[in-house]
Amino acid sequence: MRNITKRFPGVVALDRVNLEVYPGTIHALLGENGAGKSTLVKILYGIYTPDEGVIILNGRRVIISSPIDAINYGIVMVSQSPQLIDRLTIAENIILGLKKYGYYAPVKLVEREISKLAEEFGVKIDPSTDTWKLSYTQKQMVEFIRAMLLGVKILLIDEALTYLPIEERRRFYKFIKGFAERGGTVLLITHKIPEAMEAADKITVLRRGRVVKTVEKTEVTIDDIRRMMFGERSKEITYERLPPGAPDGELLLVENLWVEGDFGGYAVQGVSLKVRRGEVFAIAGVAGNGQKELLQAIMGLRPIRKGKVFFEGEDITHRSTYYLRLKGVGYIPDLPAKYGVSIENTIIENIAVIPVYARGFIDWDKIRSLALKLIREYDIKTPSPEAPVKYLSGGNIMKVLVSRELNTATKLLVAYNPTRALDEATAIRVRRIIKNKVINDNIGALIASEDLDEIFQIADTIAVMNSGRIVGVFPAEKAKREEIEHLMVM
Amino acid sequence: MEFPVSMVIVRRVKPLPYWIVPLLALLIGVAVAIIILYGMSGGKTTPADVLYAIRDGFLQPHLLAMSFAFLSIVGVGLVVSFKGALFNIGGEGQIYFGAMLAVWAAMFAPFSASLINGGPLGVAALKTLMIVLSALAGAFWAFIASLPRAYLQLDEVPVTLMMNYIAYYIVDILVRGPWHERKYGYLRTETLPEKLWLKTISGTTFSIEVYILLIIVFVAAYFFLKYTTPGLYLRVLGNNPNLLRSSGINIKLIIMIALTISGLIIGLVGAGYIAGRTHNLSYPVEEKTANYGYTGILVAWLSMLELIAVPIAAYIIAALYNAGINMQIAGAGGAATVFVFIGSILVTYTALITISEYKIKIIVKRRGG
Repeated sequence: MRNITKRFPGVVALDRVNLEVYPGTIHALLGENGAGKSTLVKILYGIYTPDEGVIILNGRRVIISSPIDAINYGIVMVSQSPQLIDRLTIAENIILGLKKYGYYAPVKLVEREISKLAEEFGVKIDPSTDTWKLSYTQKQMVEFIRAMLLGVKILLIDEALTYLPIEERRRFYKFIKGFAERGGTVLLITHKIPEAMEAADKITVLRRGRVVKTVEKTEVTIDDIRRMMFGERSKEITYERLPPGAPDGELLLVENLWVEGDFGGYAVQGVSLKVRRGEVFAIAGVAGNGQKELLQAIMGLRPIRKGKVFFEGEDITHRSTYYLRLKGVGYIPDLPAKYGVSIENTIIENIAVIPVYARGFIDWDKIRSLALKLIREYDIKTPSPEAPVKYLSGGNIMKVLVSRELNTATKLLVAYNPTRALDEATAIRVRRIIKNKVINDNIGALIASEDLDEIFQIADTIAVMNSGRIVGVFPAEKAKREEIEHLMVM
Repeated sequence: MEFPVSMVIVRRVKPLPYWIVPLLALLIGVAVAIIILYGMSGGKTTPADVLYAIRDGFLQPHLLAMSFAFLSIVGVGLVVSFKGALFNIGGEGQIYFGAMLAVWAAMFAPFSASLINGGPLGVAALKTLMIVLSALAGAFWAFIASLPRAYLQLDEVPVTLMMNYIAYYIVDILVRGPWHERKYGYLRTETLPEKLWLKTISGTTFSIEVYILLIIVFVAAYFFLKYTTPGLYLRVLGNNPNLLRSSGINIKLIIMIALTISGLIIGLVGAGYIAGRTHNLSYPVEEKTANYGYTGILVAWLSMLELIAVPIAAYIIAALYNAGINMQIAGAGGAATVFVFIGSILVTYTALITISEYKIKIIVKRRGG
């Protein structure tokens, strides 16, 4: 890609970007939130057209004006959210995009090929399974299999692996390495430096729409990359423990909680825990071990079958979410773009929707000044508080949500992966803000996270959740990483 | 075997400006109507005839005044529910249930006679009562439809649609039974006392009472959507109900409020229609209806759910409706003429709405390529 420039109303998203990617390599495109990574791959995939610049493929200039064009050139993208139709089976989903069998694809043949590719992942999967039964990881795997069957030559991975648990991510890395060894090209878009360092051969760093540098992985250290990505801000990056809180008095008490999962069976099996004022109580665990269901049940979003929840001594076991919100509980849900914001609505509307800010009548001036305050404090990049959230970059959308919920949490913050979509510098900043708030305002925080770095940085108490149970609780200063990792996968 | 031509549908990244689709729908819809009318009349109705009729239709605001107002009110009512992705197709039922209560208040209630004979104040009170009851009846009718939607997640489209027929038949039963006029023996109610008719400026259908009502409805709906939390929740509901859930908002309640308010507004037209147009109910109502409840759907869609554009859309539709009537009077086509316009525009709009979100490309494959 040569001299690619793309402007959006008010911003230059890409400024004369050059990128060369070679067959047989895994090339990572790194950058902080809003650096222009997504815009660049969307141009390569034909979702956007560049204002200036050309794309050259195998020595020939090509014009890619739609994903169909891209796929015809062997360019396939796998994005953060799986593009599968829930009602159909895996095989049916894959057949939908396949042209090579004509209009009457032999289902059996496709199913065999799917099973074969799944084995390369080291996974057994029945291609006639309905897609809605699959986990996020399995759906992403189906996306990769689809890309392979589409005859992909250049695979674009747009933050598609960023949110997977580490051991599952490694399985995908192995798979794409195999693909690259067979001559395939991989462009891995990520804001996580460790992901780039682990999986890629070459790394290009983007910053504010410009290429900072392209380097061989072996030539650089994590610190070099950080400096390229964040410039001055890289100094803020540290994984030291944040100052400890001063736990005092019980805020949230959960006793022997049993909660059902989506597909029957108990996802939470007799969990008890205690969150005190002035502490961050963090739950470590591999995704899908009941953390999501536990937090939803506490928030009144999922029925509690057995057990009790007390908040400030009051039994809130079957209270509504609304009741908790008015009590001063902030909530950052998993899959924030789906559950935490409405992207078609504006920033101010996304704030006003929380009952503490408006009941009955809406004072838009008040909401607007709150929005301006949050935009300033959290450095949210937006043309105005009245901009629809969909015009913001992924990281900035997350900031809208996090800032709103922290502001709502005058007593308790309940959060699931609060910094997952944020780049390193912003994530650490958000952790600091959470911790400061816990200390200064003496609130409690119950945070479940799949990121152990995050847990060790922010927590005062660490609990490990595995198969719906709490399998260990440690004061953070005494917790050992190896022990926690062991309990997580035991 | 592969076809040499294939069609590809791609999602648009940037949506079209919102007025393009309604405008195209109008132009293409009228063109389609011209072709249909030409065919229907065996070549007697020329495109020129139709275009003249449309021009005249637009240039007769004095004739359009009332249907424009009714369509605007229905349009506003529908926008309120459509914003929340709640598709109230039950405008007809809400109008007729409202009309039924208005007729009851005017002629069959214990207080009817005393209020009519109670001087100007009594008449005014009765008129107000007709309007209020009509609105409440519409609200009630929509509220019933909102229950299965809120509690059983039953699609509101068939429910509201079927409730139209229930309302028609209830009115039919009354008109054939207890409300049947005895003087001439026709299957209809007696005529509404003239004192209760909407006063229109002579030679026009313009009634100040209807326009006051329209302005109140318009301002109230704007205020509701913009400045109240249920209005905001409603706008979020149409985009992402999950956010409402995590915010702690009772979605069931919002669904019920939205459909009920929608019915409340649309129900107003019931009283207006009786007092301003027909002055009675006659059997079978489902064949005598002016179909404001359905035509209003077109108004709401053409406005692209923007409140401010509702009157514009309503005027266009009222004018085309009027053009249809003019042509019918002139002998071009039968009773169906009026619906040819409305139908062809709605079909075109439905077909075109896809292009506001999706791009359709025809790809011609070259041999060997």
